Amino acid sequence: MKEKALQVLLVEDNAGDARLLREMFSTERAGSFELTHLLRMSEAVAHLAKGGVDIALLDLGLPDAQGLETVRRAHAVAPDVPVIVLTGLDDEALAAEAMKEGAQDYLIKGQIENRALPRALRHAIERQRMRVDTEQIRKQQLQLKDEFLSHVSHELRSPLTAIYQFVSILADGLAGELRPEQSEYLRITLRNVRQLESMIADLLEVTRIQAGKLNIEPQGASLRDAITDTVSMFEGSAAAKGITLSANIPADLPLAYVDPSRVRQVLINLVSNAVKFTAKSGEIKLQTRIFEEDPGLLVVEIADTGCGIKPEVSKRIFERLYQASDAGEAGRKGLGLGLYISKELVARQGGNIWVTSEPQKGSNFFFTVPIFSLASLISPILTNEVKPEEGIAVLVVEMDSQDGWLSPDGRIEISNVARTLLQRCLLPDLDVVLPKMDLGDAQELFFTVARTNKQGAEVMSKRVREQFRRCERLQKAGLTFTVSYSFLSPISRSVNEPMGGFAEHVAAGVQEHINTMMIARSVPT
Amino acid sequence: MSNKTILIVDDDPDVRMGLNIRLKANHYNVIFAADGMASIAEARKHMPDLIILDLGLPAGDGFSVMERLKANDTLALIPVIVMSARDPSANREKALKADAKAFLQKPVDNAKLLAVIRKVLGEKDLTPHAVHDLGEL
Repeated sequence: MKEKALQVLLVEDNAGDARLLREMFSTERAGSFELTHLLRMSEAVAHLAKGGVDIALLDLGLPDAQGLETVRRAHAVAPDVPVIVLTGLDDEALAAEAMKEGAQDYLIKGQIENRALPRALRHAIERQRMRVDTEQIRKQQLQLKDEFLSHVSHELRSPLTAIYQFVSILADGLAGELRPEQSEYLRITLRNVRQLESMIADLLEVTRIQAGKLNIEPQGASLRDAITDTVSMFEGSAAAKGITLSANIPADLPLAYVDPSRVRQVLINLVSNAVKFTAKSGEIKLQTRIFEEDPGLLVVEIADTGCGIKPEVSKRIFERLYQASDAGEAGRKGLGLGLYISKELVARQGGNIWVTSEPQKGSNFFFTVPIFSLASLISPILTNEVKPEEGIAVLVVEMDSQDGWLSPDGRIEISNVARTLLQRCLLPDLDVVLPKMDLGDAQELFFTVARTNKQGAEVMSKRVREQFRRCERLQKAGLTFTVSYSFLSPISRSVNEPMGGFAEHVAAGVQEHINTMMIARSVPT
Repeated sequence: MSNKTILIVDDDPDVRMGLNIRLKANHYNVIFAADGMASIAEARKHMPDLIILDLGLPAGDGFSVMERLKANDTLALIPVIVMSARDPSANREKALKADAKAFLQKPVDNAKLLAVIRKVLGEKDLTPHAVHDLGEL
């Protein structure tokens, strides 16, 4: 069988070096190599892009590409083509760097033996092929693993449902009265059922994170509810261990720009860890405040008097599946996914998570989230000069459910629909739909800020009303809605005042307006 | 107090039996169907006040059941709560779009389940913590 000639690309601007290499190839059996010689990286990139190259020999000192950049550019255009770099005698360190960058091998000019060259080329090609194959297999396996996990967690939930149902039937005495120790044993079983359930939930969450399918919907919300809810959720289990669990939330805490359910998830994770690792009669304190190092962020701190974390471990605990080897009995009960999930959730809301700790004294976990800033949301509409006849209009859409209740999921969906409708009625570069404020029950409010005059506000309200009336989805959900607008009291502005200050002024006005409306609505009629 | 009728549609006999005991203890009448086809027949025959519907079913999955309910003027009035072991991130929105009143992931906490049932049936809820739980549906 006749072997196909290997297509070799040589990129070398030094005529002498190039000639030496070419001569080496010429001593090889005719038809085994076909050499293309180019002088510049730009030409090489164009040639690689065409495809068909089996291996590239790259000089690291070309006129239009220096050092590692040469390797990177070759990889960028042809990731699967193996690269051998050519270096001088005093440049082995650079060659080693190039290998880290993905080059398969390096040859030192002036030290290349005739017979070694073809072997080096073939080896490089073979190694590259194995690398590409391995990468492909790895990707396939990751995907299989994700599908498998998703499937398994579903399948595990079905029997778990039956176990939970029947154990709780026994525990609640629905199948006859129980002796105290029987009750106790069933309670232990139920606790472990919940543990299993939360592990399954974590597995699914991790699959979602890795598939990039995590759904986060930020809005202007207070951290107060999330924190007090979490504290009351763990009050029982903390009290059972004699642990004091408390929260300190300043009265003037600004709103955060977060997805409240996701913040809750992080808090639950951190507090449940704190309870787990804190010994009897210890203490757990939750605090939140404006972050000292960045006034645009809120920081939440969860401090415990538990067993603490060794410094070498404290960085790694946020890694997936990491579990400290000496975490003790409490630490082994879990998959090591909670902190990884928390880190991902915090990061995707624009914050950061970290821990400081002293072994045997306790740990302080911190995470940050952005402060809800109307000013930064509103400033886009104020970037142009305000004409004297224009004002700042606040358009309010109020939706009520006819049957007096919206499921939380229904809310999310309806609010998405409503926001899309509003966006459609607005001038995208002039008007701003504000994020949802954290509201209670069967009502949804939407605020839109626009720079316009009375007539403009009329037209806008009419258009919005029309859109909402025509929307089939909202009709079906049995919703009624009213659209109204009002103007903010004029804000005097000196010519010299910077734009940013003005945005804040307006934002303060809008905030006040929104507050008034929300208070007016919470007063029973 | 209640005596309202709930149709449970689930292909797992253990789940049906467990729910039966739990709901009967809370004074609901309970009827069953084990597949999509039977669920429509039972709904037609008994006109339940509420349907608790699994998604993975033989003879027409939960979504097709909801579609068929909607196609009938009378059956369309029966509220549906979807209760499934499937991944909520993919199925919750789909279920609510199909007009389900709520999506509950199995295993569902008893207090939460009863609170949702009462809410959907428009009954007064006497357990104070139950309403709070609704926040995490």
